[in-house]
Amino acid sequence: MRRRKAVLAAILATAGAVATTVAVLGDATVASAATTTFTPVADTYVDNSVTGTNYGTSGQLGVDNSPVKRMFLRFNVSGVTGTVTGAKLRVHTDDVSGAESPSGGTYRAMSNTTWSETGVTWANQPAIDGATLGSVGSVTRNTWYEVDVSSYVKGNGQFSIGVTSSSSDGADFDSRETGSTAPQLVITTGTSSTPTPTPTPTPTPPSGDPVLVGAGDIANSGSGDTATAALLDNIPGTVFTAGDDAYDNGSTADFNNYYAPTWGRHKARTRPAAGNHEYNTSGASGYFTYFGSSAGEPGKGYYSYNLGSWHIVVLNSNCSSIGGCNAGSAQEQWLRADLAANTRSCTLAYWHHPRFTSGANHAPTTSVGPLVQALYDNNAEVVVTGHNHQYERFAPMNPSGQLDNTRGIRHFVVGTGGAGMYNFGTIQPNSEVRNNNTFGVLKFTLHAGSYDWQFVPQSGKTFTDSGTNSCH
Amino acid sequence: MTESEFREEEPGGGARLGTRARMLIAAAAAVVLAGAAVVYAAVASDGPTAARESDVPGVVRADGARLRVLDNGLLSEVSLQDPSGPRSVSAQQCDRAYAAAGTVACLRPVGALGGTHLAVLDGDLREVRSIPLTGFPNRLRVSDSGRMIAWTLFVSGDAYAGGEFSTRAGVLDMRTGTVVASVEEFAVTVDGRPHRAADVNVWGITFTGDDNRFFATVGTAGHRYLAEGDLAGRTLKTVADGVECPSLSPDETRVAFKSAVGGDPARGWRLSVLDLATKKVAATVETRSVDDQAIWLDDHTLAYGLQRSDGVNDVWAVPADGTGAARLLVPGANSPSLQPSRDHAEVR
Repeated sequence: MRRRKAVLAAILATAGAVATTVAVLGDATVASAATTTFTPVADTYVDNSVTGTNYGTSGQLGVDNSPVKRMFLRFNVSGVTGTVTGAKLRVHTDDVSGAESPSGGTYRAMSNTTWSETGVTWANQPAIDGATLGSVGSVTRNTWYEVDVSSYVKGNGQFSIGVTSSSSDGADFDSRETGSTAPQLVITTGTSSTPTPTPTPTPTPPSGDPVLVGAGDIANSGSGDTATAALLDNIPGTVFTAGDDAYDNGSTADFNNYYAPTWGRHKARTRPAAGNHEYNTSGASGYFTYFGSSAGEPGKGYYSYNLGSWHIVVLNSNCSSIGGCNAGSAQEQWLRADLAANTRSCTLAYWHHPRFTSGANHAPTTSVGPLVQALYDNNAEVVVTGHNHQYERFAPMNPSGQLDNTRGIRHFVVGTGGAGMYNFGTIQPNSEVRNNNTFGVLKFTLHAGSYDWQFVPQSGKTFTDSGTNSCH
Repeated sequence: MTESEFREEEPGGGARLGTRARMLIAAAAAVVLAGAAVVYAAVASDGPTAARESDVPGVVRADGARLRVLDNGLLSEVSLQDPSGPRSVSAQQCDRAYAAAGTVACLRPVGALGGTHLAVLDGDLREVRSIPLTGFPNRLRVSDSGRMIAWTLFVSGDAYAGGEFSTRAGVLDMRTGTVVASVEEFAVTVDGRPHRAADVNVWGITFTGDDNRFFATVGTAGHRYLAEGDLAGRTLKTVADGVECPSLSPDETRVAFKSAVGGDPARGWRLSVLDLATKKVAATVETRSVDDQAIWLDDHTLAYGLQRSDGVNDVWAVPADGTGAARLLVPGANSPSLQPSRDHAEVR
């Protein structure tokens, strides 16, 4: 029974995260595969006869060609372990007259996985731009239909599916609001072809690859910095700060009073960046004095170092204090030369002011655009910032903020080091994950050719975020 | 159960379950499903049949009162009778919006090309006036007549909840075109005595029905006062302490406001109501921290925005007298304002 309870607990934990998760396990004698069912985190449809209307809270989804109706489904697949051997989308037709149709629609993958359920209309709809996954023929009311989406859903992540119909007699399906007949994404996982007999799996053994961990907006008179410093106590590797390390003014006293007793425990392995609060002290002299040579050349605040097969760049986004961040500025020229001389295959950069953010308190900082451009031009993978006191992860984007899964840079805002949390404002395009009630640190494991990210929450909190990306 | 036992049986790794365990899982799933069904029961009550096929376009009907809201920054409109139903979503981008009597005020997002603007739109959402402003959009109000517009901007967004911050509140008179760039210029009286201090901040203006008097928060020397203002007389006089972001009731007898918990904004705010005659304060049953300038749906009901931890907002409603329960009014929206009934069959 102990084991059974453990499995149940794991399933319940997953259910909490994705609203409804039902594990249906095969017969005990063929217990080599398991299925996990996810309901959409968002679903809606649009209608070209009412181009400005959103149906995100409706219990119904429709596809039609007259008027043209398209439906959009989004799933957040998480917690799936093992090899995904199958993925099928299940949709249920409405139990009303008129739900039936000669066509249940054509199902396609979508690159946009951040559309708003209560904001999508015909006029602003996301593009249905991916591969065709399958079609459903004629449908009758009150019936389940399935589409094989295994070519698209191959593991954890966010998945958007758009549905169109060429029939002028539309089909109507039940939306996630209906509960038991909500669309489903059923993931089948099987044992890998060589079932490795690991009787007592231990936590993933250290891969030996370097770890970079940290946050911005850290030390003040509150207790958040204590909570995040305690996380660092258990995470080896290099520590980064993304600025606003010591409130309110980055003075020597602020560093001694607030930073030193908390994050200061890890000073010897810390490579910092300076925020606007550091520059409340003229020339950020308190910051440069406290960190010494770890902060690079005094007065500049930009420098670089290597971790394994990664090149790490630290920039100074207090542009007005260092002669600007524009193209041709000293820092931008240094950055381009530094990146040109770099021989490591992957690049991560961090500084304070975010180029992209949905935070309510600070608008996106356009002045760092030339720095983002230089990093993009040199195929960098990751940018980490702070300034808005919250966590936000963006999809890989080009310097204009457009989705770019080929060369795009993934931007993180990690202003969760301890300073009081901020609200979010309008959620910006390509923002994938957000949280503003959890202090924590962001941990990168820097592999040769890829990286893992993991948001590690303060003790007692549950929010987390993790994933993996290849280098360009 | 120990940690190591937990790890032994990660799902997806070929777990073997007996009948009892599977029943437990089914029961657990059923509980989750039941919870979801309850949550959505109200939302979906008329969903499957309300928007059937092409002959009944599911536009927002305007034959009753409506709520204007922001839907992730887009000016939108829902039926007050069916606020969870289909909504009209415009392309107008605002960080904060408020509409009254055909005047739609919108604080534009700070963008790459410049700072915020006050955009004044007509009832058909055509821009009729634009005023460049400095700061970060925060509060916005239009008087019931549609004549007066008041805004509050953060001039510095740092450490707002915890400590130092600076606001600028201004007023536009749509009839005369007069702009008061900052009501901090007005003569301030605190507790009956003239008060001059560099640290005076004013935020959260709410108008009375005469388009001259108003209420607002005056912050100075660590206090956050409710002040009554007079536009013609250019005065501000404090009438109560510990009152932020006032919102005057339709009958003008009470002010809804956010009350700092324990007098400390860092601990959040309790949505409360002050009786102007008796100065008695009644907290609403909403215990979550409300950082908003609430609106009155009628003389008995408040509506306000609350943000989830992932940044998605919802508009909630709660009785103003401290009874009842808070209820979800418009999912995925904030910045509500009330549009009275009108006769047109459809709205944009």
